[in-house]
Amino acid sequence: MKKKWPILLLAVLTLAMFFLPAVTLHVHAQLGEETAAAFPSSLSLWDMMTKGSKCLPLDLVPQMGYLSFGSGLLLAGCILLILGCIASLIEKRGCAQASIALTACAAACFGTEALHISNLASSLMYTVLFTASAPLFLPLVFTAAMLILEVVFLKGGKVLLQDDRTLRLISGVLAVIGLLVMLLPVYTVSVPETITASPADAKALNRSTNLYAIMMGNEPNLYTEATSQSVYADILSGDMLELEKYSADANNIKGIFTIRNNTTTMNAYLLGGAVLLALAAVLAFIGKVDRWFPVAFQWVAAILLAVASLSVLTVGGQNDMYASASRQLVTLGLGAVTPVPFLAVLCALGSALAGTMGIRYANEPYFVNPIPAASRLRFVAVVLAVVSIACIILPAGTVSFSKPGKNKVQAAVEISGVDALTFSSAGKLADPVTSKGAAVYEEEGDFSAKVVNEATGRMAGTYNILTWLALALTVAGLVLLLLRKNRKLGIALFLAALVLRCVTWLVMTYTLPKEVAVGSGTLWLYLSMLVLVFAAFFTNFVELDELPKKYKLFLMMLPFLVAVFLFSYLPLYGWSYAFYNYKFGVSMDQQEFVGLKWFTEMFTNEANRVNIFRVLKNTFGMSGLNLLTSWLPMIFAIFLNEITQTRFKKFVQIFTTLPNFISWALVFSFAMCLFAMDTGIFSKFMEAIGAVPKDSHIVWLNSSEHIWLKMWGWNTWKGLGWGAIMYLAAIAGIDQELYEAAQVDGANRWHKMRYITLPGLLPTFFVLLMLSISNILNNGMEQYLVFQNPMNKNSIEVLDLYVYNITIASRGTTLYSYATAIGILKTIVSVTLLFSANFASKKLRGESIM
Amino acid sequence: MTVRENKMVKENHRKNKQKLSRGDVIFNICNYTVFILITLACIFPFYYLFINTISDNEMVRLGQIQLIPKGIHFENYVQVMKIDGIIDALFVSVARTVLGTVWTVGGCAFLGYLVTKQEMWLRKVWYRLIIITMYFSAGLIPWYMNLRMLGFLDNFWVYVIPGLVSPYNVILVKTFIEGLPPSLEESATLDGAGYTRVFISIIMPLITPILATLCIFSAVGQWNSFTDTMMLMPSGKFYTLQFLLYKYQNEASSLAALVRNAQDANALANISTKQTALSVRMTVAMVVTFPILLVYPFFQRYFVKGIMIGAVKG
Repeated sequence: MKKKWPILLLAVLTLAMFFLPAVTLHVHAQLGEETAAAFPSSLSLWDMMTKGSKCLPLDLVPQMGYLSFGSGLLLAGCILLILGCIASLIEKRGCAQASIALTACAAACFGTEALHISNLASSLMYTVLFTASAPLFLPLVFTAAMLILEVVFLKGGKVLLQDDRTLRLISGVLAVIGLLVMLLPVYTVSVPETITASPADAKALNRSTNLYAIMMGNEPNLYTEATSQSVYADILSGDMLELEKYSADANNIKGIFTIRNNTTTMNAYLLGGAVLLALAAVLAFIGKVDRWFPVAFQWVAAILLAVASLSVLTVGGQNDMYASASRQLVTLGLGAVTPVPFLAVLCALGSALAGTMGIRYANEPYFVNPIPAASRLRFVAVVLAVVSIACIILPAGTVSFSKPGKNKVQAAVEISGVDALTFSSAGKLADPVTSKGAAVYEEEGDFSAKVVNEATGRMAGTYNILTWLALALTVAGLVLLLLRKNRKLGIALFLAALVLRCVTWLVMTYTLPKEVAVGSGTLWLYLSMLVLVFAAFFTNFVELDELPKKYKLFLMMLPFLVAVFLFSYLPLYGWSYAFYNYKFGVSMDQQEFVGLKWFTEMFTNEANRVNIFRVLKNTFGMSGLNLLTSWLPMIFAIFLNEITQTRFKKFVQIFTTLPNFISWALVFSFAMCLFAMDTGIFSKFMEAIGAVPKDSHIVWLNSSEHIWLKMWGWNTWKGLGWGAIMYLAAIAGIDQELYEAAQVDGANRWHKMRYITLPGLLPTFFVLLMLSISNILNNGMEQYLVFQNPMNKNSIEVLDLYVYNITIASRGTTLYSYATAIGILKTIVSVTLLFSANFASKKLRGESIM
Repeated sequence: MTVRENKMVKENHRKNKQKLSRGDVIFNICNYTVFILITLACIFPFYYLFINTISDNEMVRLGQIQLIPKGIHFENYVQVMKIDGIIDALFVSVARTVLGTVWTVGGCAFLGYLVTKQEMWLRKVWYRLIIITMYFSAGLIPWYMNLRMLGFLDNFWVYVIPGLVSPYNVILVKTFIEGLPPSLEESATLDGAGYTRVFISIIMPLITPILATLCIFSAVGQWNSFTDTMMLMPSGKFYTLQFLLYKYQNEASSLAALVRNAQDANALANISTKQTALSVRMTVAMVVTFPILLVYPFFQRYFVKGIMIGAVKG
């Protein structure tokens, strides 16, 4: 019998989570203190389950009643969970499977409800604002863990639904259910009669809308409808007061109703999701179809539906604040949203999962690539060529115009391949600023409107020609690919197009006079270059069945190289800040170039020089102390090795390593308690031995006295045991015969330690010493940051901390360039030190440390 | 080692013990004493903080709790959980630890495997490009501006995504894989397995010791880091527990307000369980420590292994 207690424990935990506060309520001050007091400060899932929408004081604010909390779902989840638990305890055939199914349903219920509530929480309400907290999601997390455990337990015995046919049917059925769920209402709008002029008007607006209606674009546009019936006019003019008390500003409410629907993207997502799901459902029931197709469809459908659901229900996105009027009604408490979209998503996800499992357990080969091996690479090349054509047509550059001598951008114009093809880019760029305030360049001497227009016209002309050529070349390459002719010419064509794109980028960036306009390439421009490279690359292999291994491996490596480039090499671009007078929010082209000013400033400016020397002194001082005592871990290891009792040795090792695994913030907490003024144990100890008088108010921790020593102490406390591990490992590697031979020669313990162990450890010590010498400037900032305070700042500030303090820590500073200059010097010194250490090591020991 | 040999070793030990000279005894006493003291110094802060969080808060404030807890209660922990944002911070901390560890270790393991493949195009160039990043850094400001430019400010994923490639880990994995017999992989390749399949089914199970080590280091690093939250979350989203701890230590005034907010009317009456700024700080510190203390004993044995592998070639 397997131990089932973890499952039970998780179930109990899940139910326990119901009692934690899941939602915090913030009541709008407009409701008045009395009403506000009637609201609970937080709601737990238990409240929502047992009381439903009654968990809020409805008699005071009837509108809140529409925010029903789906208590049924929670209840169903609980019951399913308990049933699942019971099923998992029964040791009978099929019970484990049943428990998995039940738990999965429970998880679905909890998940739907959590998403539903968190979605409500994210919406902006004038009366009551919800903020969701973590316990809302914990039941889902725990149930999911339970599910995983159940599956793991099952694995030893009979595997669930082993044959792919059952799983395929399940995935089909779930897809159909998902499609049916879309028929259920997503919104119910029910306007209270009290706030309209006539009851009939309110009734006309009441409705429920399902996902199909939204998908087909039939979502009732309440704004249009209302204006035609002049219902909102009544609300806004007549019973405005009724709503007004919920909002600080009456204009808010007016504003809400004057923004209309813009749901095209969402509709496209929904439509795509529904069509794919339907296709998948049909394919799942047909036996002899490649299994990957329905599964791929289901996954894509699930993703599309998820995106659409979030945008259907989310109120208050960044770009379309009030995307749909009905959502606004819901927000105002004049309607309700249901968790239906999430249910549809869950169904799609479930069907995709079942389908994937089906592939996993399939007995026959489950993947038949429909593209024959011989033309696979050609297919990839064609796709890449098509994509690159699309990228060429998309916007390639932006030109932002600004007044001469001013940094503020007056207008930004985007020009795309379409403009080039229709020769309209010159027109688009002409007089872009006139509309914004009549010919700004007129009076500015050299840069009259005419000159600017000539410059932009020239640029647009070049751009047109380049884009035309690039397109022609790419299309020619594509045609060659499709005709299966002349591989080499195809490559040449793609590469030529690539060169043209590079020239386009140069033209975009450098041809316009910087004083009036700055051009820059868009992401699409760079993307088109990249895709063209790959198109040429794959064209080279179109006659092969498979990509050569060396390139396959390289392609696998590529994402990692991109990551390294983005996070390690790209920041080097930031070194250029050191040569400018960098200001936030201004594009790099318009920053003031100052040359080496910041580097010389470090030493010529009196205040800066003093600071730099001070922090350098601290850096070298504290690093130096650590360097001077870097032999301590070695001695620690040598003496620990002399202890013969293994258990004690292990014990010491475990507990002295522990401090290495806690953060400096935590070390500081310890320090604060132990060395607290008058009350800490250190203070008490000093009083007890009579070193200081009672209640002497000595500031042990925060004072600047002996701060280097204190920092050294904490560093050693944290790192001693950890540092010793490496030496212990090295000791284990010393040849035991040496000791035996010494024993025979009559060596005592000291002799052995002195003449065998110590020399054995010196190479390791030397390597570590060299590494720490090269790191002398990088002593990190965390430790000094947590221990820093106004009293000791002068003597604790190390280089890294100084850079942080003068830039990010002091908001709105202009010292970014200066700090970058310091960083550059620091890196150069560090790298030099490292190479010197390496060189020294090579000379002395004939071995490099890098 | 057979049982008999074991016995012999034990006997040897006994003999050694009998032969201890007086100097050895003195040495041993001193040695043991010093190590006991060092170990105590390492454990005591944890113990001290713990007894202060479960003792009578009034006595703690007066500094009367030094070695033995008095007036034990657990109200501090209950109240701390009620502070706004603590549970969310816990959630963020756990999420970043789990996701970040899986992402980093998975990425470095696969990359470590890839760079062992001699047949890769320009393998040496790419490998060196990756390794060199270990020796230089662009500096704080360029790093910050870069993440800002990439849209990682106020974004949870900044905790996870940039950690994909860590050169040191890649070296560790590479060294480990190079020590494996190549025949295993060859036989799988003959059976028609691709690189990904070989990695998942053959290499991964074999390199679990090193992966476990990397997991611990990465998880501890993720759990402990707070400076990234401090710099990259200017609008106060996605705070982690460590950062809250750091913040509470620095902001005594706002902490007092927090304490007042979290306080129930009932709790106010009882002075011994009443929250003080001090008690909240200490309790949060303890909450941050517990996960490490819980996990630590299970993974302790992997450290030595990991660091030994690392010591082979740094």
